Amino acid sequence: MEWIEIFDISLLRSLLRSTAPIAIVGMAAAICSAAGVLNIGLEGKMLNAAFAGVAASYYTESMWAGLTAGVIAGIMTAVLFGLLSFTLGADEVLAGLAINIFSLAGTTYLMRTLWGQAGFFSDPKIVGVEPIHFTFLEGTFLEPFVSGFTYSVYLMFFIAVGLHILYYRTRLGTAIRATGENPEAAEDAGINTVRIKWLVTVFSGLLAGISGLFLSLENLTMFTEGMSAGKGYIGLVASSFGNATPLGTFGASAFFGLGDAIGIRLQGVYELDSRLILMIPYALTVVVLILIGIRQRLKVRPVAIPES
Amino acid sequence: MDKFSFKDVLVTFAGLFITTLVAWVLITSTGNNPSEVAKYLYEGGFKGTRNIANSLYQATPLILTATATLISFRVGMFNIGINGSMYVGALYAGWAGYRFTNLGHFSHVTLCILIGMTVGALWMLLPALLRVYAGVSEIISTIILNFVAVLFVSYMANGPFRADPIAPATARILETAELKQIFPNSQFNTGFFIAVIVAILAHFVLNKTTFGYELRSGGDGLVGVYPSRFSSYLGIPSDRSAIIGMLISGALGGLAGAIEVLGAVRYFFQELEFNQGFDGILIGILGKLEPIGAIIASLFYGAIKNGGFFVDYKTDVAREIIIVLISILIFFVSAQKIVKGLEKYPIVKKLDSFFSRKKM
Amino acid sequence: MNKEIAIHLKNITKSYPGVIANKNVDFQVNKGEIHALVGENGAGKSTLMKILYGIEQPDEGEIVINGSMETINKVETAINLGIGMVHQEFTLVPSFTAPENIGLGQEPKNSKGLVDWKGLNKSVMDIAEKYGFKVDPGLKMIDASVGVQQRTEILKTLYRNANILILDEPTAVLTPQETDELFNVIRTLVNEGKTVIFITHKLREVMEIADRVTVMRAGEVQGVSETKNTSITELASQMVGREVFLQVKKDEADPKDEILNVENLWVHDARGLLAVNGVEMSIKEGEIVGIAGVEGNGQTELVEALTGLRKASRGKIMYLGEDIASSTPKNIRRKKIAHIPEDRTNTGLNTQLSIWENLIGNSYFRKPLSSKGIFNLKKVAKHANKLKEDFDIRSPNVSLKVKSLSGGNQQKVVVARELSEDPTLTIASQPTRGVDIGNIEAIHEQLVQMRDDGGAVLLVSAELDEVMAVADRVGVMYEGQIVKWVNPKEVDQSQMGLYMAGVTE
Repeated sequence: MEWIEIFDISLLRSLLRSTAPIAIVGMAAAICSAAGVLNIGLEGKMLNAAFAGVAASYYTESMWAGLTAGVIAGIMTAVLFGLLSFTLGADEVLAGLAINIFSLAGTTYLMRTLWGQAGFFSDPKIVGVEPIHFTFLEGTFLEPFVSGFTYSVYLMFFIAVGLHILYYRTRLGTAIRATGENPEAAEDAGINTVRIKWLVTVFSGLLAGISGLFLSLENLTMFTEGMSAGKGYIGLVASSFGNATPLGTFGASAFFGLGDAIGIRLQGVYELDSRLILMIPYALTVVVLILIGIRQRLKVRPVAIPES
Repeated sequence: MDKFSFKDVLVTFAGLFITTLVAWVLITSTGNNPSEVAKYLYEGGFKGTRNIANSLYQATPLILTATATLISFRVGMFNIGINGSMYVGALYAGWAGYRFTNLGHFSHVTLCILIGMTVGALWMLLPALLRVYAGVSEIISTIILNFVAVLFVSYMANGPFRADPIAPATARILETAELKQIFPNSQFNTGFFIAVIVAILAHFVLNKTTFGYELRSGGDGLVGVYPSRFSSYLGIPSDRSAIIGMLISGALGGLAGAIEVLGAVRYFFQELEFNQGFDGILIGILGKLEPIGAIIASLFYGAIKNGGFFVDYKTDVAREIIIVLISILIFFVSAQKIVKGLEKYPIVKKLDSFFSRKKM
Repeated sequence: MNKEIAIHLKNITKSYPGVIANKNVDFQVNKGEIHALVGENGAGKSTLMKILYGIEQPDEGEIVINGSMETINKVETAINLGIGMVHQEFTLVPSFTAPENIGLGQEPKNSKGLVDWKGLNKSVMDIAEKYGFKVDPGLKMIDASVGVQQRTEILKTLYRNANILILDEPTAVLTPQETDELFNVIRTLVNEGKTVIFITHKLREVMEIADRVTVMRAGEVQGVSETKNTSITELASQMVGREVFLQVKKDEADPKDEILNVENLWVHDARGLLAVNGVEMSIKEGEIVGIAGVEGNGQTELVEALTGLRKASRGKIMYLGEDIASSTPKNIRRKKIAHIPEDRTNTGLNTQLSIWENLIGNSYFRKPLSSKGIFNLKKVAKHANKLKEDFDIRSPNVSLKVKSLSGGNQQKVVVARELSEDPTLTIASQPTRGVDIGNIEAIHEQLVQMRDDGGAVLLVSAELDEVMAVADRVGVMYEGQIVKWVNPKEVDQSQMGLYMAGVTE
């Protein structure tokens, strides 16, 4: 059977690579939503980070400069979101949306103005991130499973586990979850909810930055217009499907990653139209949204009428 | 919705001022001359019949997408997916433009437009139903559908609807389906008048009819308030209002796409790129969610957008700077606390109440 | 007897714009006693307790805790002084378990800096055991009964080392069985040396549980007594028995044909519990029927069922000979039933809309305001401005958003709209809540006017004065039933207090 050939080690590797950016930004969305912040602006944070990473790497020819600049750009965008939403009282959705439009236009503007390039910018001077090879695993059966990925693929596991510990084993984590679920209860327990919201927003900027950098310096070594391509939004859906928990979000992201990976392989096997393949993650997102809807409807339990 | 108040105008102008400063910094720091950019911006937007016609052409879809945005916002729904409706509306209007033959000019154009609007509206059906019957955020679902739309129309232009063996494009629409271009060397077309009429109609329906009143009873602001207890209390089904609002919003997005194809491009091709759906959100907010405000803001935006093309062509400054600046302006306008902070000052309060005097 | 004094609030005065909530209040609680603080809604109990708990600051007065004068300007200070408060609305995180809620913000840490959940569970269980609480440490609050949630709240204050516990209307949300359990808990607490302030307006409970009782009315203390030396009757008369200062000018009612007849009505509340248990009621044209009672006894659900906003589970609502129990709000409105809802800002108004848009909510579809779906804005403006004049809505013009109006003026918009369409039956729920005195009178006069014009009025209010002054016939609602029908002219106000406490014999 032809389709069986799709499931092999390289599918697993491709699954991990596809999952990484969604899972990392998804966990940014999760921690925000756990604290009651609806962060639509993750898309813009990713994009700015992806751009800043390429720009810094290009000008300094240093990978580390690129990564640092990208993370800073993600955090700065998050600070802008926080200023608008928490300090200046803008609607969170509106602030996030405006930031996304701003970031898409801003990065395209800078790319075209600085480098005179339309569509994408690629240059040998951009230093990307090299895959990590574990020499001690060479020749073992583990090598094809765990060796040869870029750092984000490893990082996402650490982030997931780290956030899980943060959520359930630290004071900060319980404070975050309490802030999101019942701010009055949190305030009553002496928790400064505004500070918590700021904290998760800045942290989400860091994660979205890492996710954006994956796109421009790890997966590829270039910047393309709007290269986040909705991953920030897909991350939001993953977090929503995963009930805003780190491991749940990670699982949902892996589901998206699997769809992506299978699509890529199907394309190879059946020579499908690339656009239909590219549509898979979005179609999956719609399916997941419908599932979320069904789950929400099932939560409403009918009321029993007692006999009098 | 609030009519323009003095403090809003004050904030908008303060925002414009600061935005101009940011623009100056942005342009200078990338090694360009701001006054030169300003000159080309003005010339491209307003100088000569052709530029003015092109500015109006740029404003055409914006009027519709901004109206589409504000209608959804004012029924209490956040429709961010107007760009998607615009794409599918354009594709199917174009298809109808070559597919139906032997029709008169008026009936063919009408048919194409109706098909574009219907498809655009249907594109919003799923998010509307998901929101109303399952509580799924329409913000996320409509955004995701934008991405689906781009890939879908691209696939259709490349596959089922492809007519050209060399380029991935549909057949050219028939002459009977064309919206006439009026000025030489400009894509300005009669669609502009359709857009203006539709926006005025929207103004009329929203503000002067009981239907519009019922739609707005559950919303009317920047806050997504659906589902509204007020509506149900008055006996107005807020579910129905929310769905109808989303469908109208999608239909206007589809109309914007249809006009682009019937009036300017004349066929649908894979690389055809729309972002007026997103611009429409910004314009809708700038126009204070009023259709008349949307027309004015669109004319302004259309002119600087066309001016932006001119700047892009003449200098090293890319046209995206316009969107960057408008979104910075939106940051100001949306920052409620700036507006509220102004209320502290008695002079602002006085002027505010002076300007808000009305007949009613 | 020389008892130690735990709390002494001296000469507390607190006023809000237009209202004096506390006037020279002197409130004293002995160490180790159960002290009931009783009074009607708006008597000033909550304000006094908010001052003690640091939520509000008094304009004048002193707070003495355990013999030393304190300034309590934030909740934290109160907590550090050993004061704990269980609010009427619980502050619990739904997905957290009892220990997680109890330890929130002060979880113990282990050597690695992580939360020591085991340690927390143990100390919570230790406290629970000491006071005889049953706690399931794994149960999330969202799945817990109201009684369990309340015990968790009490444990939270104990975990924070509270010695003085304020319980704000703790039995309002409890079933009789849960109330009994709570009382056992309170007795254990006192046996262990805690002091309990018990806010309520259920006098039977006061007699059952409290050692002493302070009665408040209209912001002032009416009396302090030991429960063994007083009676429900005496307390009721202190609470409500006085010269009615609310005077409504009206003639004798002249009831004619029956408009509404409610037969054996049962209604569930949002949580699925029975809120209305077999209500029977009749309203004739030309009379005002009042429903008195402590809030939360099913009045909300009764009104919602009558107006179609909530489905009746059983029974008939006969309106002019037709059963409207399963009718929609729209059809009910079209039959000329007006409704002034208790929730003004979300239900009665859309504050994003202008005043005129809110004023025409029940008339926008009719001529001459609109014709064939199109507004005649001149007529609309005339209509809106007339209502603005008639009902004295204070605003520069009717184009302003409703959210720019004061609470009283917002309520006048609701009243104006609902009374404008010549209703056959007017259902008014808490129509004067948050409205200042002058406007209260105006609203009362308008309701009487409706009656005199031949309409039927149902007035539901937690303000006993209001019901007694305005209504011609009053039903007292208690635990989902109308336990007594009275003629307000013939009944003693302290007698009403008894009925409201469920005592009818």
